[in-house]
Amino acid sequence: MTKLTLDNVTVHYEGQPQPAVVDTSLSVASGEFVVLTGRSGCGKTSLLNVAAGLVAPAGGRASVNGLPIAEPGADRAVVFQNDALFPWLTVRDNVAFALRMRGVPEAERRDRSDAVLTQVKLEGYGDRRIWELSGGMRQRVGLARALAAEPDFLLMDEPLGALDALTRERMQTLLLDIWAASGVGVLMVTHGIEEALLLATTVFVMAPGPGRIVKRIEADFGRRYAAGEPVRSIKADAVFVLARAELADAIFEGELA
Amino acid sequence: MTLTTGRELPITGLRPTGEPVAVWIGDADPTQDQSNQLRLRPPVSARTVSFITVAALLLAWSLAAHLQLVSPVFLPSQYAVAAKLVSVAQNGFVDATLLQHLAASLGRVFAALVVALAVGIPVGIAIGVSVVGRGIFDPILEFLRPIPPLAYLPLVIIWFGIGEPSKILVIAIAMIAPIALSAASGVRGVSQERVNAARALGASRAQVIRHVILPSSLPSILTGLRIALGAGWTTLVAAELIAATRGLGFMIQSAAQFLVTDVVIMGIFVIAGVAFVLEFVIRRLEAALVPWAGRD
Repeated sequence: MTKLTLDNVTVHYEGQPQPAVVDTSLSVASGEFVVLTGRSGCGKTSLLNVAAGLVAPAGGRASVNGLPIAEPGADRAVVFQNDALFPWLTVRDNVAFALRMRGVPEAERRDRSDAVLTQVKLEGYGDRRIWELSGGMRQRVGLARALAAEPDFLLMDEPLGALDALTRERMQTLLLDIWAASGVGVLMVTHGIEEALLLATTVFVMAPGPGRIVKRIEADFGRRYAAGEPVRSIKADAVFVLARAELADAIFEGELA
Repeated sequence: MTLTTGRELPITGLRPTGEPVAVWIGDADPTQDQSNQLRLRPPVSARTVSFITVAALLLAWSLAAHLQLVSPVFLPSQYAVAAKLVSVAQNGFVDATLLQHLAASLGRVFAALVVALAVGIPVGIAIGVSVVGRGIFDPILEFLRPIPPLAYLPLVIIWFGIGEPSKILVIAIAMIAPIALSAASGVRGVSQERVNAARALGASRAQVIRHVILPSSLPSILTGLRIALGAGWTTLVAAELIAATRGLGFMIQSAAQFLVTDVVIMGIFVIAGVAFVLEFVIRRLEAALVPWAGRD
């Protein structure tokens, strides 16, 4: 059981008059699916980047099991919105990237990346080039690349933001399948209200000016899906509809209509 | 012919009958682009004009030589030049066949290219990734870049003698700046998100350079290589000015001393031809090595 903790974190970019995030705390443990949502400019991505070790907090503390986060590491693999894949590598070599950095031998890299590709339903695509794939497939390669690192935490910055609505729905259930099967802790940033609610075990609503957490909502819809309930029936459930309204209110609260 | 819209009128009206519609370079379909509505399709393509220009020049040369408007000493006929190509290829000129001269020159240019790549790529990467690297190498490159090779040739000879290393060095100096500057610009263009992705997958700083920055800047480095080969080939004649016994530049200069103008002209055409072939080879190399360039 590992736990990623942000304690009273403040993010202040050089040259900015106001901090991006102020005095914010949250934690993600193995098996949890924590979603950060809120309007643009509320510091969701900044917070995720602190957890990733890509941004150093100006105040507060980021740690994993008590050890401070000083730099990025494969224990906290990141999935980016614009997939950030390496076009000079094949799909398989993209997925095997973290293993290669660790010096895992070629044959083992191949087996393990093919297994992860099967997990994201891309079996047989290992030898393809990145530019031959659709947006949804590329995002699945990005996910597979992060999973192949066998991270304790999966940090995802609007991973489905650039996808069309149908692909997005399919990716949501795929994410839930993988999360339930692997037991990783997930920290995800999204603009999608329904998406946040469906996936999360905990939703943090952030508000801008300066960025901070304004509401925390516990949910279990993802666990219900993992237990076998169809997404359609979950989304039609009155509990889901009410929670959705509550979440939307929290996001838009304080904003002039 | 029935014209259905007013927009097509001026365009169709200018098409020369019976000829395929000329394509304006850079415009796929003028009817798709509003800004092109008032621009008319040119009646001929640039390629046709180029072809006519070359043909006219050759004809003028042929006429001038045939009618003896200019003495053959200054302007030999195309046949004399072509015959010389065959005879130098078979029997040689100044103690070496055309192939040997060509091999000597290509050998120098490629040896210089290896040196220039070995120096230029690391220097370019250093400029791109580190402030200290930029501070050290930027002034040196900016100093070297505009100097014509003929200007530093004497100094290179004073320092390194008149042997083969000096010739290679002169060509290499001309090649280093374009390669280093292209590599540096490639490095600066690397997507920060890809670097972050690699770091979050456990890559060290050295691994990020090797596995992300280097391949990312490869398209740019290859562009630099193309410019560098052009620069190197241009420097060749200068490098072969002193104490060469073989090489295309040496061949031309020897021929000029004896006023063997047909060899001079033949040599110029061979140099131009080789440059053309090299350009073609590098474009193929780009397609093979960086097929992703411009596609992501």
